[in-house]
Order: sequence, then C-alpha cells, then structure tokens
Amino acid sequence: MLLEMEHITKKYGSFTANKDIHFNLREGEIHALVGENGAGKTTLMRMLYGMEQPTSGTIKVRGREVSFATPSQAMASGIGMVHQHFMLFPSFTVAENIVIGREPAAAGVFDRKKAAAQVNELGRQYGMPVDPWKKVGECPLGLQQRVEILKVLHQGADIIILDEPSAVLTPLEVKELLANMKSLAKLGKTFVIITHKLQEVMDVADRITVLRDGQVTGILEAKDTTVEELSRLMVGRELVRMDKPASVPGEAVLQVEAVQLSGAKDRSALKDIHMKVRKGEVVGIAGISGNGQSELIQVIAGLRKPDGGRVLLSGQDTTNWPVRRIREHGLAHIPEDRYMWGAAKDASVKENGLMGHHHRLQKRGMIKAKAAKVMVESWIKQFSIKTGSAETKAQFLSGGNLQKLIAAREFAQDTPFLIAAEPTRGVDIGAMETIHAELLRKRNEGAGILLISSELSEILQLSDRIIVMYEGEIAGELPAAEATEEQISLLMAGGKERV
Amino acid sequence: MNRVKETLRGLVQPLLAVLIGLLAGAIAILVVGGNIVDTYAEMWKGAFGNFYFFTNTLARATPIILAGLGVALAFRAGFFNMGAEGQMILGGLSAALTALYLPGPGWFVCIAAILAGIIAGGVWSLFAGWLDARFGMNLLITTLLLNYIATYFGGYMVSYPFKDKTGSAAMAQTPMIDQTVWLPKLFQGMGLHAGFIIAIAAAILIYWFTHKTVTGYEIRMLGSNPSFAAYGGVRRIRMMMLSMVISGGLAGLAGAGEVLGTQYRFLDGSLSSASYAWSGIMATLLARSHPLGTAVAAILLAALQTGAMGMERNTDVPLEVGSVIQAVLTLFVSAQIGYSFLKRRKEKKSNATTV
Repeated sequence: MLLEMEHITKKYGSFTANKDIHFNLREGEIHALVGENGAGKTTLMRMLYGMEQPTSGTIKVRGREVSFATPSQAMASGIGMVHQHFMLFPSFTVAENIVIGREPAAAGVFDRKKAAAQVNELGRQYGMPVDPWKKVGECPLGLQQRVEILKVLHQGADIIILDEPSAVLTPLEVKELLANMKSLAKLGKTFVIITHKLQEVMDVADRITVLRDGQVTGILEAKDTTVEELSRLMVGRELVRMDKPASVPGEAVLQVEAVQLSGAKDRSALKDIHMKVRKGEVVGIAGISGNGQSELIQVIAGLRKPDGGRVLLSGQDTTNWPVRRIREHGLAHIPEDRYMWGAAKDASVKENGLMGHHHRLQKRGMIKAKAAKVMVESWIKQFSIKTGSAETKAQFLSGGNLQKLIAAREFAQDTPFLIAAEPTRGVDIGAMETIHAELLRKRNEGAGILLISSELSEILQLSDRIIVMYEGEIAGELPAAEATEEQISLLMAGGKERV
Repeated sequence: MNRVKETLRGLVQPLLAVLIGLLAGAIAILVVGGNIVDTYAEMWKGAFGNFYFFTNTLARATPIILAGLGVALAFRAGFFNMGAEGQMILGGLSAALTALYLPGPGWFVCIAAILAGIIAGGVWSLFAGWLDARFGMNLLITTLLLNYIATYFGGYMVSYPFKDKTGSAAMAQTPMIDQTVWLPKLFQGMGLHAGFIIAIAAAILIYWFTHKTVTGYEIRMLGSNPSFAAYGGVRRIRMMMLSMVISGGLAGLAGAGEVLGTQYRFLDGSLSSASYAWSGIMATLLARSHPLGTAVAAILLAALQTGAMGMERNTDVPLEVGSVIQAVLTLFVSAQIGYSFLKRRKEKKSNATTV
C-alpha cells in the first residue's frame, strides 16, 4: 500500500467531522472519495495534506508512519493538493506560478528562461503542454487547472489530491482532465479525486471510498458498482426517481425581444437575443459561463438596463421597471452567485430569508418579526437547512445550506415566472433532489422557469427546451427530448451549425 | 441566548482597544514621570468622581452621541459620512439664528430652532448625497470637503452679518439667545441639559428604526451587501438619500443642542475645537455602528476627555495623556476597519473571478 490512513478521527469541539476512518491508496490508482456536503471528504484530505491534524489515528506513507504539521511537510512526502478554488497569481506567468517556491536561479537571480524550459519539459513529459509565458489571468479555467496540476507535479508529488476538480470546467475540459488523469496514472502517479459527480467517478476511478456523516460507508471497486449503489451509500436511502410528465405549455410568460447589451472593451455582451418562456415549461440555457448568461439574467431581472430591445413579463413591457416592481409583477430569481447576489453574509438567516418578502410581511412600516420567523423556520424544516437557528449569521452556513435557503426564499415568492441560475451549485444530492422536485412542481403548476446551469446533466434532466448561448448569441435551440450531450457540447464550444 | 453571546463577542474587540489605549496612556504617564495608579484615579474622579463631574461628562457626551448616531446610520447603509462637523456647524448656526429672530413663545421658538438645526444639517448632508447620485462624486471626499465650506461660512456669518455688537469683546459670535428659549437644565447648577434626554431617545429611536422597520431593514441590507439589496429590489439612490438626510439631521441636532443648551449663542470655532463630530465618528467605529453601543461609546469617550481635564487639575500629568489614549484607540479601531475593508475588497475581487 502506498498510503494508509487508519482509525482517523477529527473533532471540532463537540462536532465529529471524521469518525474512525480507514482510507488507503494503491500505487498508480485513481481513487474517488465521494459523499454529500459535510460528509467529511475535505476534512480527511486536509489532514492528509497537513492543513489539519487528526484528533487520533495514524497515517502511513509506504508503510512508514508520518505526521504532517504543515502542507510543506506533506509535500516533502510526495503529497500534493489542487484546491477547488485555484491558488494562482493571475498577474504572473504560467511558468512563474508553476516553479513558485523552488525557482531556478542563476547567481541568486530568478532565471525566467530556465523556469520556462523546465515547465516545457514538464508539460512534454506528462503530456500536458502549456505556454509558460502566458499570464495565468488570461488562461481559461481548464488551463488554470492544468497549471495547478503541473505545479503539484513540479513539487514532486506522487499522490495528487484534486478537490472538486470539475466544478468550474466545461464538459470538454472535464473530458480532457479525466484523460490526463488516466495517462498520469499510467505513469505511476496516484490520484485522489474528491467529488460528488458520480458519472465522472464511474468514468475515471479505479476504486471508490464513500463517506457519510463522517464515516466510511463503502470501499468499492469501480467496475463492480453502479451509480445507483453509490448514491444509496452516500445518501443512506434509495433516491426517488423523478417522473417528469410531459410539458403542457401555455401562453408566453417571458418574452425577450432583440435585446442588446454592450460589454467591456467594445464587445457586446448580448447580441440580438430573442427568446420565450411559456407557462408550464422549463427552458434550459446551456453554455460555458461567461457567454452572456449572467448578463441576460440581469437584464430580465431588471438589474441592468439593455441598450436595445425589450423584455416582456406576463405580457407587460418591464424593460425599464425598477427591480421591486418587476418582482411584484411576478418574477422570482435564484441568482447564480449566492454570495454576490443572493445573500448578505453578516445578516442573519432570517434577514436573508426576508428579502423580497419584506414588503408583504409588514404592518405600518414595521416588519412582522414573528411571521418572518415562522416563515423562515418552515423553510429550514422543509429543506433541512443546517443552521444553529434563524438568528445565525448567514456566513456560518455552508454554501449548500445557504443555497437551500435562497432557493426556498424564491420558491416561496410564488410567482408565475422563476429564474433558476445554477440552482444546485454546491448542494448535496438530497438537497438537489428537493430543489429539482420543487422546480418541476412549480412547472407542473403552470409556472414558466428559465434554468441556467453549467451542469449539462441538470439541463438535460429538467428542461423541456434547451437554448445554447455562445459569445452573447443564441447558438442553437433544441427540444430536450431530442438533444444529446454531444450536440450541446458542440454548440457550447462555438460549433455554428444550427441543429 | 445566541444574541446575547453575539453581543458579548461584539464587545470583546472594543474593550480590548480601550485596554490597549489605557496601557499606552500608562506608558505616556511613566514617560512624563507620573504615578500610573494615582493618575488614573484622578482621571476616574474627573469623569465620574461626584455628581457634578458625572453630569458634566454626560453633557459633553450629548453632541458626541448625536453626531455618532448620524455617522452610524450612514455606515449601516454603507456610506461614509465624514461631514458631521460641517453639518453640526450649520445646524448650530441655523438654530441660533432661528432662536434669535423668530418671534413667539419660548418653547415654540426652541422647538423651531431645533427643527431648523435638523433641517440645515440634513440638507447639507443631502447635498453630498446628491453629488454622488448625480455626478458620481465620492461621498467620503465630498462630505469631508463640505466641512470646510460650512466652517468658514459659519465663521463669516458671525464675523459680519450677525456679529454680536453688544459685548465689549470683539468675538466672532451671535448675540445671546433669550433665556426663555434655552433648553432646560436637568439639575439645578449642573451643565447637563435636556439635549441629553433627546440624544438617548434618538439612540433608542435609531435602534428601533434600523432593526424593526422595513426601511431600516433595507438600509442595513444595502450596507451589508449592495448587490444583494439591488437584487431584492432595494433602491440604492433613494436609500442613500434617506440615510444621508437622517445622518446629517442628527449632526445638525447635535449642533442645535449645543447652541440651545450650553452656549446660548453660536460662537465661531466652539463646535469644531471640541471635535465633537470626530469623537462621534470614533464612538461609531468603536461600537461598530450599533446605535445603542454608539451612545455608550460616546459616554466613554466623553469621560476620557473630562477625566483628562480632572487629571490635569490635580496632577502634574498634562491633559495630552488623554489625547494619547484616544489616539491609540483610534489607531486600533481604524486598523480594524481598514482590515475589514480590505477583506471585503478582496472578497469582491475573488467573487468577480469565479463568476
């Protein structure tokens, strides 16, 4: 065994994040660590990487017992980690980012040419070429991740931990990443991949360890298991299969007509967008993030005024209405970035839940505190939001729980039209199930839903029609029943032909 | 239960700052050759030693509380109103002129003068808000610079058109206001006047406003995350104007209170030399913009100032030791503010890259 973690327990005060965990790695394998949010995956890996110390238990690398007080000690034992949020300097070049900490020097001066040569050699050796002179800030996210992996390789890692590596990548980039992992594994590198995307796990992993509530619930060979078995082990129960009755679309609830918006550097963010969402249907917008989806949402929600064209909501031109009037006219909105748009971190759960409901829950200008509390507490129960109480500050909620709160708040607006942008980003399977069920229930009750997601599977599963955006334009539209992942991926990457 | 815990946790940092301030003061006392224990004892006596000193401290705290509340409200909405001094001066000047020239019974004139003070301060502050909304001028800068205009305008008004020509001394001040218009004293022979009651009531009212009303909720959400507020339908410009008016109005009220309750005339420089407005800003920072906390912090700062005077009377340690303590306090508080500001900017940046 390359690595053995035995009887690992980690306690934070009275909370046990990891309980008597056994985890091991074989040389050259790809090992997936799966589990819901808060199951203890990241905690376990942070201990392996020396960012946390176990309360009890032992770690052995190649049979020798080790203990890491800092990440640099873990690195010295050949363990490297690529974090979910990249730790790169955007204004520095690829080469500078990769050699950081062990820069080649000539006479005490940083030798950029040598660094670039090293990086080229590294890329060639592992089949992951990069341009060493390019600024990291100018690289797409997939390339940035490659830089992160090369950095870890440059540090001499044999065990590479990848935390949610595909969260920010496009489908094509994910494929490339998985292929790279496989070829590196053949060269003898060992991977731990933390994820909750089970299809990816089945595609790439050799073995799988499943965690639930800080305990191991299964160690499986990938070839002997199925997605269904994995999700059962993760959630602890059978998942309900969603049945989606055929959509019975009614009249249009949202009409976007010839909307134009100029963006940065003379480029237009939105070019002549025409689209329609009818009552009782889910329209999914697929696309690599940054192709105009955010701008489109903001225009529809009234947060930005378009330079041309108009938006009609329930038949009325709402283009220049203030946000509050649009909302009261019938729009709810699960925003794509929960921290930027969706919440105020230093306000309480209750105050965050009140937004948009606060004009309704008032009496002569005073907020009905009790009614607000009852409302928010009912959501906490319905969506099993893990929070101390309704008075806990939002910053103490995990991302997934905050997302549930935001989704609950917007569902409760009970509007004929809902924008759901990345509604399940970072939430666990159980919560995803709830949110998806709520979205479909709303649709079945006759509401129109505009779903924006970077998860193709989510788009395919929920949508009745799919629109693909590329560089501020609608690159194609197709009925969900006939759409395939390949078709959409092609359109997302700028394949121009209409389907 | 949770709220109590949170309040206590909120108290740790300001108390730590005060403690470090006192430590720095102790070093200053040692340097000038004083006895630390005796000096601090005198300081305590000077601030709270007997009923007279105590009410004196509260009287000094009155304008600090009001100016601080104004700054606190603007902070809560996410705006820096550094113009409390100018708003206070215009408030004081308007109150004095109203009190001098408006006919009618004393109580009526007094109330009218207070209202004039509130309006003058509010309008001056609103002007800065308008400059931001209309031309995108930075509030921090405009409010700060408008102080100079207000100060020199006030100085001009009492040096020329409304100068008191009755007295022998050629001071830049208005004539004295009629006694029937004065704010009543709370205790015979003490400096404390009804303005203190108004200040405490204002603190409670602002707390109620920010925490219980719909508008207060919108203001707090705007200050906490402007994008979230916009997303929820809060109108930024409207809320900015409103919070700036209230903020300036409170500073104007502070000026009116000083004129009607303590000085009975508008005297050039009297409101700025005591730096009530700046102490008010400090009180707000110490209390992290909590209205009730601001009132407590204002009394604490006033005690530091009156205490330092008492100390100077009875020991060889100079008044400036009080300033040293206050300066160290400011340093720590502003370091904390600067840190959270930087953190917020960094968060914004990292948010921007992940979008």
